[in-house]
Amino acid sequence: MNGRLVRTLLPIGADVFRSLVIAVGIVVFSFFLIRMIPGDIVDVMGIEGTLTYGQQDAMRESLGLDRGWWTQFTAWLGMVLGGDFGDSLRYGTPILNLLRVAMAPTLILGASALAIGLTLGIGLPVLACVFPKSIFVALVQFITLWSIVVPTFSIGILSVIVFAVWLDWIPAIGNIIVPAIILGMDTAGTLAKILHEDMVDTERAAFVRTARAKGLSRWRIVLRHILPNALTVVVALFGILLAGALTGAITTEVVFGLPGLGTLTLQAIQGRDYPVVQAVVIWLGLTVVVANLISDLVQRALDPRIGR
Amino acid sequence: MAVTLSPSAALRRKRIPPLTTTGIAIVALLIGVALLGPLLTPHDPYQFSIRMNESPSADHLLGTDDQGHDVLSRLISGTRLSLMFGAGAALIALGIGAALSLVALSFGRIVEIGVFSGFDLIRALPGILFALAFVAAFEPGATSVMMALGVSFSPMFAMITRATWRQQMARPYVAAAQVLGASRIRVNAVHVLPNITGALVTQFAIILPRCIVLESVMSFLGLGVSPETPTWGRMIANATQYTEAAPHAVLAPILALSVATFGMALVGDAMRRGFDPDRRRIAA
Repeated sequence: MNGRLVRTLLPIGADVFRSLVIAVGIVVFSFFLIRMIPGDIVDVMGIEGTLTYGQQDAMRESLGLDRGWWTQFTAWLGMVLGGDFGDSLRYGTPILNLLRVAMAPTLILGASALAIGLTLGIGLPVLACVFPKSIFVALVQFITLWSIVVPTFSIGILSVIVFAVWLDWIPAIGNIIVPAIILGMDTAGTLAKILHEDMVDTERAAFVRTARAKGLSRWRIVLRHILPNALTVVVALFGILLAGALTGAITTEVVFGLPGLGTLTLQAIQGRDYPVVQAVVIWLGLTVVVANLISDLVQRALDPRIGR
Repeated sequence: MAVTLSPSAALRRKRIPPLTTTGIAIVALLIGVALLGPLLTPHDPYQFSIRMNESPSADHLLGTDDQGHDVLSRLISGTRLSLMFGAGAALIALGIGAALSLVALSFGRIVEIGVFSGFDLIRALPGILFALAFVAAFEPGATSVMMALGVSFSPMFAMITRATWRQQMARPYVAAAQVLGASRIRVNAVHVLPNITGALVTQFAIILPRCIVLESVMSFLGLGVSPETPTWGRMIANATQYTEAAPHAVLAPILALSVATFGMALVGDAMRRGFDPDRRRIAA
């Protein structure tokens, strides 16, 4: 009994531990990345001529840059763990507020893209499996090829030109439907490819032959027997797909002029607002880590073959 | 060396499908333009002129951009630069990923776990985010972007190295080398490395178009090469401000980028399929 419990909990503990290590790694990495700048932030601003020497010293003191790196690190870590990323160097406002405002468009875009991606990415392979000699098989192949060979960046700019400038169907700035479709196509292609291959493989399994021999309808065989087996693939890919949709959203929103995390990061880099960059890296990095952990754990719960 | 892992052998086995032929033709054209570059440009790509945002004409086949540069000339010289920066980033990724993981695999379990946790960490940060963070810390510019993309794609090569390395370690020739007294380092460098080269080349072909696109994205965001340098990304960035007046100036580099990545991705995918008869990916 006890041995079984350990066998179940041990791999889960290992998963959680690994995610924790990576999460800590991201936080430490984002701290030291900023410290790799030759000189420090204040030097950089001083060279730009915006600060006098007296202001430089005062700023160094207020940011705690005059202390040792270990003291700085622990103080900063305490703040971040408390959910406080400090103030933006440019705007003077709490970074958390900036993040909260910028997060909305990115999350909406990422979530819509993911929704479109999951619908197409699961729907098309299912239809292709139910109707094996139909147009749906070609559609799966098309969307797979599309996601491999058409980068969201170039198709994004092309659609801005075609739909916003030439046809005037959408506003050039602030449209969310077109970027969501573009990102969704990308997600759908990645998913449809693997799901389709997996369903075709499952089709040959003995239990599918049994189901067919029982005289079950094509829909029932696919939905009740083949799809549940292949769905673990979707769960396994979920972390990667979410990361792809979120980071895809970062570049796409700049192309489509949406005021999200990508635009915020870009402005922060150009304005040398390092704490903001730090906060975005930590926040997005941790989101990806958590998504991967969840998809690992759900996969473990669904598929008894893993980790025993 | 009985193990056939060379890409050409993998391709020869089957008839080459038409899409792949298209891809090969595109890649050949790109390499040709990149090599001949300066010989093909009708005008000086850096030459300003007062004929700004002009539509395509006999003199300027693809028109001029917002500063009166000849778009075709910039496109041609941009081919060499964009391919160079993309290939540079992919080569850095290959170097870091393959070399570091082979060294780690030669020095036993503990070193392997250490090095691969590092790769896991990089993999947790999505490529563009890593590049943005990296460029924020160092100066924006072509070298930073190449380094950033190189580091952020290195796990892709490390994973493929480890996966193929494990397959090779199970083969008799490795055991034979070990019986003859070869050290782990010698086995890896002299015997295993030549046999995983094919897999690494394939991975390179898959990563290369992504590096080219991301380099363009970074240039588009104003974080890559200097504004004057005619890479495709930079041309797109400049011309998107004038899409109404001069759509040709933005369409030309966008289409060049699309066609280039289209061709390369087709070739890369064909190579991958040649390697994996059972259609499974070794690394995501």
